[in-house]
Amino acid sequence: MNSAVAEPDGGVVGRYRSRLAVPATGQRPVDEICGPHGIREHQAGLAAALDSLGLGGLRGAQAEARRFVRDDGIRYGAGAGNRAARPTRRWEIDPVPVLVPAVEWARLEAGLQQRAVLLDRVLADLYGEQRLLREGIVPAEVVYGHPGFVHQAVGSGPAAQSHLVLTAADLGRGADGDWQVIADRDQTPAGAGYAMASRRITSRVMAALHRGSDIVRLRGFFHTMTLALQEASVTGAARPRIVLLSPGADSATAFEQSFIATLCGFPVVEAEDLVLREGRVWIQTRGRPEPVDVILRRVDAALCDPLELRADSQVGVPGLIEAVRRGQVTVVNPLGAGLLDNPGLLPFLGTAARHLLDEDLQLRSPETWWCGDPAGRDHVLAHLDELVVKPIAATRRGQSRFGWQLGTKDRAELRRAVEARPWAWCGQEALPLSTAPVVTPTGLEPRRLVIRAFAVTSGGTAHVLPGGLGRVAPRDGDHHVSTAAGALAKDVWVLAAEDTESTTPQRIRSTASQPAQRTTPAPRIAGSLYRVGRQAERVEGTARLLRVTADLVEDHGTRPNTPGAAAMATLLGAVTSITGSGIDPRTGAGSGRGPGAALGPTEPSGQPAQTGPAAQTGPAAQTGPAEQTGPAEQPLALLRRVLVDVETPGSVSYAAARLVRAAQEVRDQLSGDAWIVLSRLERTLGEMPDDDAQLQPQLAHVLESALAVAGIIVESMVRDAAWGFIDAGTRIERAQHTLSLLARTVATPRSPVTDGQVTEAVLTAGESIITHRRRMVTGEGPASPVQSAVTLLLLDGGNPRSVAFCLARLAEDLRLLGDPTLATRAEALAASVAELDVELLCAGDRGALADTVAGLGDDVQTLALALTRQHFTRRAPQRPLPSQWSTSTEEVG
Amino acid sequence: MPNRYEVRHRTTYTYEQVVEACYERGPLRPRDTPCQQVESHTVTVSPEPDLVTEHTDHFGNYSQYLEIRTPHTELVVDKRAVVSVDRPAPDHSMLDAHTVADVARHTAADPDAPPVYAAYRLPSRLVDIGPDVIGYAAPLLAPDRPFGEALAALYGAIHADFRYRKGATSVRTTLPELLSLRAGVCQDFAHLALGCLRWAGLTARYVSGYLETTSPTGRPRLAGSDATHAWVSVRTPAGSWVDLDPTNNHLADSRYVVSAWGRDFADVSPLKGVVFTESATSRLTVGVDVIRL
Repeated sequence: MNSAVAEPDGGVVGRYRSRLAVPATGQRPVDEICGPHGIREHQAGLAAALDSLGLGGLRGAQAEARRFVRDDGIRYGAGAGNRAARPTRRWEIDPVPVLVPAVEWARLEAGLQQRAVLLDRVLADLYGEQRLLREGIVPAEVVYGHPGFVHQAVGSGPAAQSHLVLTAADLGRGADGDWQVIADRDQTPAGAGYAMASRRITSRVMAALHRGSDIVRLRGFFHTMTLALQEASVTGAARPRIVLLSPGADSATAFEQSFIATLCGFPVVEAEDLVLREGRVWIQTRGRPEPVDVILRRVDAALCDPLELRADSQVGVPGLIEAVRRGQVTVVNPLGAGLLDNPGLLPFLGTAARHLLDEDLQLRSPETWWCGDPAGRDHVLAHLDELVVKPIAATRRGQSRFGWQLGTKDRAELRRAVEARPWAWCGQEALPLSTAPVVTPTGLEPRRLVIRAFAVTSGGTAHVLPGGLGRVAPRDGDHHVSTAAGALAKDVWVLAAEDTESTTPQRIRSTASQPAQRTTPAPRIAGSLYRVGRQAERVEGTARLLRVTADLVEDHGTRPNTPGAAAMATLLGAVTSITGSGIDPRTGAGSGRGPGAALGPTEPSGQPAQTGPAAQTGPAAQTGPAEQTGPAEQPLALLRRVLVDVETPGSVSYAAARLVRAAQEVRDQLSGDAWIVLSRLERTLGEMPDDDAQLQPQLAHVLESALAVAGIIVESMVRDAAWGFIDAGTRIERAQHTLSLLARTVATPRSPVTDGQVTEAVLTAGESIITHRRRMVTGEGPASPVQSAVTLLLLDGGNPRSVAFCLARLAEDLRLLGDPTLATRAEALAASVAELDVELLCAGDRGALADTVAGLGDDVQTLALALTRQHFTRRAPQRPLPSQWSTSTEEVG
Repeated sequence: MPNRYEVRHRTTYTYEQVVEACYERGPLRPRDTPCQQVESHTVTVSPEPDLVTEHTDHFGNYSQYLEIRTPHTELVVDKRAVVSVDRPAPDHSMLDAHTVADVARHTAADPDAPPVYAAYRLPSRLVDIGPDVIGYAAPLLAPDRPFGEALAALYGAIHADFRYRKGATSVRTTLPELLSLRAGVCQDFAHLALGCLRWAGLTARYVSGYLETTSPTGRPRLAGSDATHAWVSVRTPAGSWVDLDPTNNHLADSRYVVSAWGRDFADVSPLKGVVFTESATSRLTVGVDVIRL
């Protein structure tokens, strides 16, 4: 409080008020915090907290929020698609919450509850009896002209039992300060998860304010959601199986999909994980298939069933509508709910409410005119420059237009479009919206605010999320508030009513937990888990190899023709061949042998097989570094490139990007803490200074992050089939990496001094140098350093870094994931390694060692391919049958 | 006396590689209409489907769902139906008693019309009403023109302006493309007619079915040489529907067997499907016989 006095102009809030006072365009909209006569009653605590923090404190909170967003891996927006390396846009949270007083919220809540009930009834009618159309309450063209109307969903029977379970609406304030519904968002209501994630962060970065405020919690809403989804089941299953159907890890709200699924306790699936069998939906697994009772969809209805809807959709399940029709599955929201997002319905909702509920509509909307009605069209065309003109179905090309922002030409074009298809347009009065303060480098700035509110209907009652996803326009004076257009998120705090005990969350009986879903993951998921294991191990293994090589370069790089320089050259050669980085992408120089030439489809993925550079064990890879890298590249530059260049396959960054990508594909299977360490890894690699002297410290940081990733996997995952796939990936990768390393280093004898240095380096890279030294000192181990290294890294079943250990663990993993056949093969391979004689291997020119590691490399590779074939083979491609004219052969008559 | 027909419609898909699973949908059973009765029908599918279901779709057609999970390289769907058709000759004086504008106004405001009729007045995916279509329709369907005369002008114009040429178009051909090609098949002509009729505010739907053909030389017709046919149906001021065939330049009579109707081809495609296969290509053959009983 005192600091408020110290701030010039009465602190940040005072300065914010003075910004509000400027009448930029006539009238200033209502502000959330400041009323005409000072701070609003219920906002005093917030205003005091803002002043107390001051701009410095607020900027700190903003930075902290950014960090939390990063650590939680909160992302929004498409774009990761074909660029494994580029993350989607991060979510952005403004730390200043929006406070809604209890009385005001109670009114809003009642209005939202009524709206949820009304829209459910409207939906049921339009896909059922259509009385609203028959009695002329809603014009039929509003419905039939909207692409969200799915005529395949019309009909009686079980389909009619499915209800609008989730509703969402965008709210803004009118000039009088009342909240109004700008638009309904009922196709696949999104944002409640972001609201929850934003709450977690805002409550931390504004901890003092949060502690001092009595606000209603959000968690109960997600319990209710689970309950509502269970109730929605029509199959009669005692414990309905619920899945969240996602369009994929590339979808804009992929983060939220996993977040909600995790909160509610059901899995995220994609279309290819599901299959129709005898009119039912099943999760495809290698083992016992499991029926699905309820699908919470994040896929737009038009894409949900390529048999009956868009034939080219790869994110839908052919036959899904038939399963719904037959009462074998419930889809939430029902297919066809997107019709409710039609702004052309708004002018008719009031009458519909009186007709269906015998009530007046509580929540107003800005006045809307549907142009299919001649009077409506005339009004809209006469007021084009004042209205928001909206297509009844927003498409990529057809977005809302703010009439007053249009130039003469655009306005004429819009007029023509409306005149050509009047039924496809409506005009809406522009809501002034309210402003809320946003932290900027120059202080708090007023931005226009829209709140998305959410409700879930369970037990016949609509439960409203006590809060919402606040979003503010990206710029001052901007009217367009949309997350896609760069809006900032704001947490919405609903203040608990003072006179009641309702500060506790709404009493919702906690739901029966989902049946233990510890069965074999679907092939797509199994493949991603396996890649998590492989790529995480590849990051670690490669970083270790780079570190030890960088050590040699620093010690011997300036002393050519010494034994140390020879050892350095050997390790550099190992780096280039193991990582497949022989080709300098900038000069094009190199051996012409990238990793792509090395391997078959080790990697389960939809894309062309990503290759495993670590597995190159063939003699062809044993070429010298000079020949591989070309004269242009200095050793340290090569190492830097193999660390940070995301374009070099085999680089640490490349593996890290693929690791993050694979983790995103199975986000709901991983611990939430995984994102803290993954984001740290990404950050470390992304912030690499362009300075060779920094290579070692950076490698140390990368290694730390990689170890943290491994730690999370080991310490936070239940040992089930999912873990089995991750660990199998780890073990196969490590075994192959170690075999490759041995093949390119100690498998060839060198001069004794060089040999000793190479052996030390290999043991260091294999994280076994300490045991080695101890054994050498105590004389427990084999006689020569090379034998010690081979024992430790190949044969020693007690060393977690050895090939023997990896194979034994792989066998356990394979049993865990339910493949005893492959497990037996892995055990046999492990046994064959255990029987090797180290003295024979290292005798003479070590030809036996070279042959053995090469042979083992092939064996592990064969095993990896068998695993891929058995477990990650995805179904055959889905293709629409060609639709063709079958034409009459000749004219008649 | 009604005409009685046995309609045989055999669809065969062949693939180069095995199809692991196949899902099909189509109106495999003809619908009854005020002038058509389906006496019997059968559907035979090979390989044997794991599931066959039927429901009535939003346009009143019977629609079948087939699920075939037996691996196969050839799928045969053989449907047969015996139907009797007795389509009365249209009442030309009734049709010409109203102008196009009258009929449009009257049918759009008809309180007894089911709501779905609104869909038959709006553009649809394959019936996009752009400037080209409007330009074609305007002189034919002038608002003050007698309705019956306007319909005759429409099918007459399409018949005169467009050559019937198989392979000239595909299911993806748009109406502007058709208008510049000036050639197509019955589905195209039906879509163009629908675009014109709907532009004029009339309620018009796409009809998928069959037509009895006669061999021009009087020789016996070849088995399987018939084909599916398509034409359009327009709501009349009397609340009935009149069917016109722009491909053959006349109104429909009792030789026209209705399979299904909807907004356009996409709603009533004879058979559509999704397959899971590595096979990048497939071959479709269709054999149709309309046999007078």
